[in-house]
Amino acid sequence: MTTTDTRRPSSDDPRVLLDEQIGVYEAIPPYPPRTEREAEFYTLGDGEMFINMGPQHPSTHGVLRVVLKLEGEKVVDIDPVLGYLHRGVEKLCENADYHQAICYTDPLEYISSLFCEWSPVMAFEKLLDVDVPRRAEYIRVLSGELNRIASHALFMGWFALDLGGLTPILWSFIERDEIVEMLAALTGQRMLFNYFRIGGVNGDLNHEFMSRLGSWMSRATEQIEANLTLLNENELFVRRARGLGTIDSATALRMCMTGPNLRATGLPFDVRRAHPYSVYPELDFDIPTRSEGDVLARYLLRMDEIKQSLRIIDQCLHQMPDGPVMAKLPRLLRPRPGRAYAAIEGPRGQYATYAISDGTDQPFRMRIHDPSFIHLQSVGLLMPGNLVADTMAVMASLDPIMGGVDK
Amino acid sequence: MSRAWGRLTLPGKVIFTLVPILIVLTAGLIVTIALLGGLILEILVANVGIVRFVAAVLILLLLAPPSAFIIIYMEMKIIALMNLRLGPDRVGPWGTLLSTVHGLKVLMKEDFTPTGADRIVFTWAPIVVFLSAVMGAMVIPFAPGLIAQDLNIGILYFFAVGGLTVVGLLMAGWASFNKYSLLGGLRSAAQMVSYEIPLTLSVVGLLLLAGTMSLSQIVENQGPWFTDWYVFQQPLGFVIFFIAATAEANRTPFDLTEADSEIVAGFATEYSGMRFGFFFFAEYINVFIVSALIVTLFLGGWQAPFPFPEIALALDPGSLGIGLLIVAAIAPVVGTLLLAAPFYLLRSSTPWWQALIAGFLLFNVVAGGALFALAFIGLDFVSGLVWFLGKTYAFVFLFVWMRGTLPRIRIDQLMGFAWKWLLPASLLNLFVTAAALVVVDALGS
Repeated sequence: MTTTDTRRPSSDDPRVLLDEQIGVYEAIPPYPPRTEREAEFYTLGDGEMFINMGPQHPSTHGVLRVVLKLEGEKVVDIDPVLGYLHRGVEKLCENADYHQAICYTDPLEYISSLFCEWSPVMAFEKLLDVDVPRRAEYIRVLSGELNRIASHALFMGWFALDLGGLTPILWSFIERDEIVEMLAALTGQRMLFNYFRIGGVNGDLNHEFMSRLGSWMSRATEQIEANLTLLNENELFVRRARGLGTIDSATALRMCMTGPNLRATGLPFDVRRAHPYSVYPELDFDIPTRSEGDVLARYLLRMDEIKQSLRIIDQCLHQMPDGPVMAKLPRLLRPRPGRAYAAIEGPRGQYATYAISDGTDQPFRMRIHDPSFIHLQSVGLLMPGNLVADTMAVMASLDPIMGGVDK
Repeated sequence: MSRAWGRLTLPGKVIFTLVPILIVLTAGLIVTIALLGGLILEILVANVGIVRFVAAVLILLLLAPPSAFIIIYMEMKIIALMNLRLGPDRVGPWGTLLSTVHGLKVLMKEDFTPTGADRIVFTWAPIVVFLSAVMGAMVIPFAPGLIAQDLNIGILYFFAVGGLTVVGLLMAGWASFNKYSLLGGLRSAAQMVSYEIPLTLSVVGLLLLAGTMSLSQIVENQGPWFTDWYVFQQPLGFVIFFIAATAEANRTPFDLTEADSEIVAGFATEYSGMRFGFFFFAEYINVFIVSALIVTLFLGGWQAPFPFPEIALALDPGSLGIGLLIVAAIAPVVGTLLLAAPFYLLRSSTPWWQALIAGFLLFNVVAGGALFALAFIGLDFVSGLVWFLGKTYAFVFLFVWMRGTLPRIRIDQLMGFAWKWLLPASLLNLFVTAAALVVVDALGS
């Protein structure tokens, strides 16, 4: 004979569920505070509340979770929670040989994969002391700058979408899609190209790539200008973006910012000029800077960079030498024990790899310096004091890719 | 019996219960009409005002979802074309049935209430929002004589009912037990309360000119030429009203209440199924009604832009007598054959039946067009309805266009704009209008 204890509330009693879930709703971690900062943040003041943005919020650009402490609509404090996309790429690379490691670094910043290949490839080439053929270097610069344009075009669309504009993202996808198709013709993949190899590139320029590039180049400037008129001359957009999330150059340096986010504060630091690599010294291009350091400046600076990238592509096509695209290398690479560091200028900033070889065919240690992660640490400075609506604008203007942040 | 009943599925049980009830009811109805038909008719005739009102309300309630479907389809297709996409093109011709299918989908989805929500308020919020949207349509004159209730304080009623929407949105935001909903609800309250003031004040100048608050009277004042439309006498009022009405309808760039990139879906975050559908319909009905009100107040409502020359119909159908019947019987056959002939004769590969079908369809188009033209010329309310809907949908298109182009405004900019710019501007408009009226009166006397 079975009896049920009716006095105990059953598990589907809404009150019981409420008690269990209230912690989740309040975004408070289920453990006691571990640091002073945590204890301070997770204590609510008068009239304040927590709101949990992410990891599935529509505009956190992946799986970032930001716990916002709000007073009405005003952000008082934030606590970013990372690690939802952690795959242990650095450790994986230590268990792969030098060719395989490039495949692991490829999807870090999946919007601009070529740059994630470029930096480790350069580091490994320094370890192996390989001379890369000049044609391969030119092809690297050409395809890299194309990828930079694709990344910045996508940034423009996302940024507008976070500010509530529906159309720019689809217009900018026209550019990005054409570039992606072009790179697919060159590399065989649309997104994770795995095109750069130690000692060169995987294949020479082919007919389809060149014809697509030619027809795109003839109308690219015009189309990009058309996209820009949709936002740059829009009073609503400019008024929202101007003066928002301002950071000065000293603070930006202290936060280790690089790339467009640093140049928007007025410092003309660009790895392509500061520590020249590849064939960039032979190319003529400007480093656009802006002095305001706000959201609008970061956006406009990226748009200026698109034009410079178009200049570089044009020069690459004219100066492209003949010759092989791959250096002669043994199949199994065993570099001498040593260390190498290679930094490149990605679309988001300085992307660097530090590799240590112990003489075997696998890297002993690989450290990847990702600009998205570095830039994300400044949201704690930029977001508080703004409104909820602006948190997404600030974050979009820093242009982080969560694949690179969580590695 | 009870075993057989137990083996029935749920729809079977429903049918077995409903069919006998319906039969009994129908029989009762027939008997009632047969016995008391004359009496019922007398009562209806005696209370024709009430009957007309009930019928009008029913018609408006029934027409609300289809008009929302049309606007939803318009929005999907127009924004798609602006985004250089194709948009809906699978369901129905050119995807026209997609929004209807969306409506059916919403009906069939699971409708759940989140834990911790205030069930009663949560359930009633969408109904309040939907009803306040539909009730606004009661006083809008669609055509001469085609108005649900010609209130002499029509515009006041409209603003009063429009204010109810805030209550519904606040209810939804508060009852959902979700902070995104709460933010959306409070944003909508702040926004709508702020924008009601310039919205109402911008019309006061027009009311001074019109001397009446009845919407049908306001429309009649704006004739017969398009220069008599109030937009030319109240340009500032028109601009303020348009901006404030955009905010009232929660459209881009003022769609802060459901800003998807900031607060997920605002007050509608926790809603699903038909309750969400009510919010969705209410939004698009609001767009229609706000456009209709702009047209009614400032652009002459159902008035044509210029007076048409009177066309006397030479043919009086009544004079034909029995001939009318013969024409009605013969015309389709002859017309179909005449229109089918070119298809059959010009291409030898066309089979006769295909030519007939083509001729039949073409005849339908021609006859429908001719009947419509006759009605447009001969019947006031048809031409009025055509002009009214044409102007209204032009404004609906404008709202959709703005959604495709503009980004969203921030909440502090939104409030600042309402209180610092729109309110003084509408007061200025009122002052200038009143002063002008006084001067004109003084000069006239």
